[in-house]
Amino acid sequence: MIRTKHTLAAAVVVSAALALTACGGEAPASDLSSVKIMAPFLEAQPPTADGAVQKKLEEVTGKDINITWTPNASYEDKMNITLASSDIPHVLVVQGKTPGFVKNAEAGAFWDLTDKLKDYPNLKTTFPEVQQNASINGKVYGVYRGRNPIRAAVMFRQDWLDKLGLKAPETVEDLYKVAKAFTEQDPDGNGQNDTYGITIPKWGALGTNSPYDMIETWYGAGNRWTERDGKLVPSFETDEFLEADRFIKKMVDEKLINPDFATYDSTKWNEPFFNGKGGMIIDVDSRVSVLINLFKQANPNDFQNKVGFVGSLKGPDGELHAHPTDGYSGFLAIPKASVKTEADLKNVLSFLDKLNSKDAAILLNNGIEGVNFTVEDGLAATIKPETPEGKTVNTDIKSFAQLGTNVTGNNFYPVKQASEYEQKVFDDRTAIMAEDLKSAVYNPAAAFVSPTYVAKGAQLDNIVADARIKYLAGQLDEQGLKDAIKLWNTSGGDKVKEEINKLWQENKK
Amino acid sequence: MTAPVVEAKAPGRAASKPPAPARRRGFAVHFAHYKWLYLLLLPGVLYFAIFRYGPMYGVSIAFKDYVPFLGVNGSPWVGFTNFTDFFANPDFPRLLGNTLILAFLNLGIAFPLTIVLALLLNEVRLSVLKRTVQTLVYIPHFLSWTIVASLSFLLFALDIGPLFQFVNLLFGTNVDILSDPNWFRPLIVLQEIWKNTGWGTIIFLAALATVDQDQYEAAIIDGAGRFRRVWHITLPGIRSTIIVMLILAIGQMLNTGFEQIYLMTNALNRSVADVFDTYVYFVGITQGAYSYSTAVGLFKSLVGIVLIFGTNWLSKRFNQSGLF
Amino acid sequence: MKIHNTRGGRIFDAANYVFLSLIGIITLLPFIYVIAGSFANEAEITRRAFFVWPEQFTLSAYEYIFSTPAFIRALVTTVLVTLVGTLIQLVLTVTMAYPLAKKNLRGRKLIMSLVVFAMVFSGGMIPTFLLVKDLGLLNTYWALILPAAINPFSLIIIKNFFQELPAELEESAKMDGATEIGILWRILLPLSKPVLATFALFYAVGIWNDFMSPLLYLSDNNMWTLQMYLRQVTAASDLLGTGNVDPSYIPPEQGIKFAVIVVATLPILIFYPFLQKHFAKGMLIGSVKG
Repeated sequence: MIRTKHTLAAAVVVSAALALTACGGEAPASDLSSVKIMAPFLEAQPPTADGAVQKKLEEVTGKDINITWTPNASYEDKMNITLASSDIPHVLVVQGKTPGFVKNAEAGAFWDLTDKLKDYPNLKTTFPEVQQNASINGKVYGVYRGRNPIRAAVMFRQDWLDKLGLKAPETVEDLYKVAKAFTEQDPDGNGQNDTYGITIPKWGALGTNSPYDMIETWYGAGNRWTERDGKLVPSFETDEFLEADRFIKKMVDEKLINPDFATYDSTKWNEPFFNGKGGMIIDVDSRVSVLINLFKQANPNDFQNKVGFVGSLKGPDGELHAHPTDGYSGFLAIPKASVKTEADLKNVLSFLDKLNSKDAAILLNNGIEGVNFTVEDGLAATIKPETPEGKTVNTDIKSFAQLGTNVTGNNFYPVKQASEYEQKVFDDRTAIMAEDLKSAVYNPAAAFVSPTYVAKGAQLDNIVADARIKYLAGQLDEQGLKDAIKLWNTSGGDKVKEEINKLWQENKK
Repeated sequence: MTAPVVEAKAPGRAASKPPAPARRRGFAVHFAHYKWLYLLLLPGVLYFAIFRYGPMYGVSIAFKDYVPFLGVNGSPWVGFTNFTDFFANPDFPRLLGNTLILAFLNLGIAFPLTIVLALLLNEVRLSVLKRTVQTLVYIPHFLSWTIVASLSFLLFALDIGPLFQFVNLLFGTNVDILSDPNWFRPLIVLQEIWKNTGWGTIIFLAALATVDQDQYEAAIIDGAGRFRRVWHITLPGIRSTIIVMLILAIGQMLNTGFEQIYLMTNALNRSVADVFDTYVYFVGITQGAYSYSTAVGLFKSLVGIVLIFGTNWLSKRFNQSGLF
Repeated sequence: MKIHNTRGGRIFDAANYVFLSLIGIITLLPFIYVIAGSFANEAEITRRAFFVWPEQFTLSAYEYIFSTPAFIRALVTTVLVTLVGTLIQLVLTVTMAYPLAKKNLRGRKLIMSLVVFAMVFSGGMIPTFLLVKDLGLLNTYWALILPAAINPFSLIIIKNFFQELPAELEESAKMDGATEIGILWRILLPLSKPVLATFALFYAVGIWNDFMSPLLYLSDNNMWTLQMYLRQVTAASDLLGTGNVDPSYIPPEQGIKFAVIVVATLPILIFYPFLQKHFAKGMLIGSVKG
C-alpha cells in the first residue's frame, strides 16, 4: 500500500520535472561570418586556435574558422549530443557510416549533396566507386574523407625467407609453402622446432579486413557481398569462401598458424614476429612501418633485412582479387539546422571546395613550407632539428589532417622517409598498392542500408563469424559451418538479401 | 553493536517521538519541532528533484525510435516494440541465464571475499603492514579492464602462460583456458576479485573502525578466543553495513558490466559469455542503440528496484536492519 | 594494548601476515610492470612479456605527454576541481543523510524511496545534457560537480552509519542545549571520520576519473581536465579489430599508454594514505562514553 503511494508520488515528481524541462531550444541565426567545425583529434592534445596552421588555413579559405576539437574517444556521443542541442556547427566531421549517422541523415539532419558536389572542382570526386560506397543507398550526405583503398599486405621475416632460400609469396599456394617452411625448416637456425608460419589474433567479426576476410577475397569469394547469377549474395555463401576456409584450416591443422588464434591478444600481434616466433602477419600495410620501427629501435645498425612484404595474393584460379577497404573514413557533413538556406549551403560548399584545394591539402597534411618541411624531389622533408614553431606545426597537422577529404586524390607531398631504406620501403608500398588497385574487388553492397540488417545484422553476422572460427578450431565440421550459414538465412538473412538486392537493382539504372 | 545495545537504543528513540495529536496540526507541530532538520534536508531534496528527476523524462525514449537530430520529444513513438523485440529474441533465455549465473557467482564469491579480506586486514596489528597492504590492494581498481584482460591473456596464454600450466597441472587437464566455455565464468570472477576486492574493503574497514573497542577488552577478560571475538563482536558490529551493501549489490546484479566481458569473449566461448550488456553493444553496432539500450536498461532497472525493495522487506521482516 | 599470547593466535597472525603480503604483491606487480613499461621503449616491451625494471631507460613517453603546457594546466585544473568538488559533494550528502537518519522524521520514508528509485533509474545522457545547458552550466566547472553531487549509494550508506551511532550521545547533547546542527557538527561528524574519509575518497575518485562530463559539458579545451587528454590515448587502440578504426590510424606506442596510466593514477593513489589515518579503530566512541 505504502509502496504504491510512493510510486505515485515518484510519477508526479517525474511529470512535473518533465513539464519543467520540456521547453527551451531557440533557433540560432545562420551566421556564416566564421565557419564552425566540429572534428575529432587523435593526438594527446588538440591544436590551439591561434596556431600558425589555423591562421594559414583562414588565409587560404578566406574565412574565419572556429573548430571544436573533440577527443576521438566517445566522439559519436558528443556528436549526437551536439545534434540534440541548439549549438550545431556548420561542418561536422562524421567518423563513419554508423547507424546513428544513417538515422540522423534519413531524418533530414544533413543536406543531401548528391547533385551538388559536381559543381565544385575540388569536391567532384575522381573515385566514383568510393563516393558510392560512402553514400546511403546512393544518396551522398557528406564529402567523404578519402583513404588509400588498398591496404592488404602479407608481411614476412625477410631474413628467414633469405635463409631458407625462398622467394616472396605471390599466390595463396606460396603462402602455404612459406608458412610450412617457416614452421618446419628452423628458419631462425637455433636447432629447435619453435617457430610457426602465420600469427592471427582474436579477430572474429565479418567484414573487418581481418586476415580471414582477406584470404577469402583472394580466393575469389568477393568482399562481403558478391554478384552471382545476377544477384548479390553474401561472400560466405560462395564456394570460394568454403575453399578459402578449408585452406586456412589446413594451415591450422598443420600448426602453421598459432594454435590460440581464436583468443590471441590483438595488441600483441607484433610480438611473435619481432621475437622470431611467428614469421608472417596478414594485415593492413601500415603495420610494415610499425614493424620496421621496432627492429630499428632494437638495433639501429641492423634492421634493413628483417621485414619483407607483398600486397594481395593471387588465388587458386591464378587471378588477383585484391582486397580493398571501402576507401573512405567518414565524411564532412553539413547540418541543416545551422546551414539553413541553399545560399548558405553554397557558401559552405565553396568553403569546403577551398579546404580541398591543393594549397589547403598541403597545409593540412604537410604543414607550412619553410617552417616545418621543405620540398625535396617532390617529397616533404621534415626540417631537422625541429624549431619550436616547426614542432607546433608538426603536432597540429596530425589533427588538421582529419579535415582533409582528398576526394580528388592526395594532392599533398608524400613524406620523405628517415633513411634510404625506409624510403625504398615506402616507395615499394606505394607501387604495390597502385598495382593492386587495378584488381580491387569492392563490396558491391557497401552503399546499401537494409532495414533488417540494421535491426539484427550484428547478431546475424556473429552466427557465421563464430562458426568460421569454430570450424577452423576443429569444433565444427564443414557441415556445421554450412548449417550456420543456413541459420543465418533463416534467422533473417533471407530478408537482408532480399532488401539488399532490391536496393541494388534500384541503384543500377 | 551487540544485540542488547541495539535493544537498549530502541526505547530511547521511541521516547523522543512527539505526542501524536490530530493529524494535520500534528504535522505543523512536527515540522516546527524539526525545522532545522527539514532545512538541512532541503538542498538534497532540491538536488534530487532537479538533477535526478528532472531528466527522468528521458526514459521515454525506450518507447520511441530515438533519433538524436529529432530530439527526445520529436522522435516517433513505437510503443513496446523495443521491449517485445528484446523478449522475443530467441537468444533471450540464454542471455538471461548467462547474466544471472555471472551475477550470482559475483554475489556469492566476490562479495563475501571482500568482507573476509576486510576482517583479515582488521586483525593485523602491525600498523605498517596493515597500511601498506591496504594501499596496495586498492591499486587494481584503477587499472582499466583492458589492462586486466591483457594480463589475463599473458598469464593464461596457451602452453606458455604460467597460470595456464599451473591450472592444467592442478586439474590434470590440457585445455585452453581462454577459449574453453567452462573456464569463462571462473576467469571473469577471478578478474573481478583481483580488481575490486581491495577497493570493496574500504567501506567495511570504515565500518570496522567504528566498532566499540570496550567490548573486545571485556571479551578478552572473559577469555574469548580470536575467532569467537570476530564472530560475536566484529561481525555483529558491521552487520548492518553488510546488509545494506548486500541489498545494494543485489539491486545492481544484472549490471554485469560490458567492457570486461566483451574483452574476454571470443568465438569459442560466446555461448556462455553473452550477457545483456554485451548484447546491447552488438545490437548497437548496426542499430544506433539509444532506444533499444534504454529499453533493456529500463528492464534491468525494473528488476533491480523489485530486488531492492524485496530484499529490503525480507531483511526487515527478519528483524535485521535494511536500507530504510 | 591488548596482548594475544595464545599459540594459535600467533600462528594465525603469522599465516595472516604472509597471506596478506602475498595479496599485496599480487596486486602490486602489474602496476610495477606498467611503471617499468612507461620507461621502456617499444622494442623492449614487445620483446619482454613481463618485467619490473627496464633495460634501456627512456623518458620519451613522458616527454610526449608533457610536451605542451596544456597538460600541466589540465593537471592543476583537475586537482582543484577534485578538491572543491569533493568538499561540495560530501557536504551536500552529509546534510541530507543526517535528517534521514532520524527515525521519527516524517516524510523520511518517501524521500528514501525516491532516492533508491533514482539510484536505479536515470533519465540518460541527453536529457541530463539539456538540463545542464538550460541551467547555464555548460562550459563551467559546476557541470562536473553538481549533476553528480549526491550519489544515492553514498547517501544510503552514510545515513546508515549515522543511524548506527548510539542515541545516548545525542540525548545527552540535547540536554546540554545543543541544536541539531550543533549535534551534527560537534558530535556526529567527528565520530564518523572513517566513513567521511571513505566517501571523500569515493567522490574524489569519481570526479578524477570522470571522462564523460568534461567531454559533454566543456567544449573550451582550455578548461579540459586530465582525463580528456589521457583517455583517448589508451582508448583508440582498443578498437583495433572492430573495423571501426580509420585504417590509416597507427595506435600510440605501448609505452605511452603505460605512462598515461601512471600519470592518471598516481595522484589519486597518493590521496589514499592521507585519508588512511582517519581509519584508526574506534577513535572516539570509547572516550565519549567515558
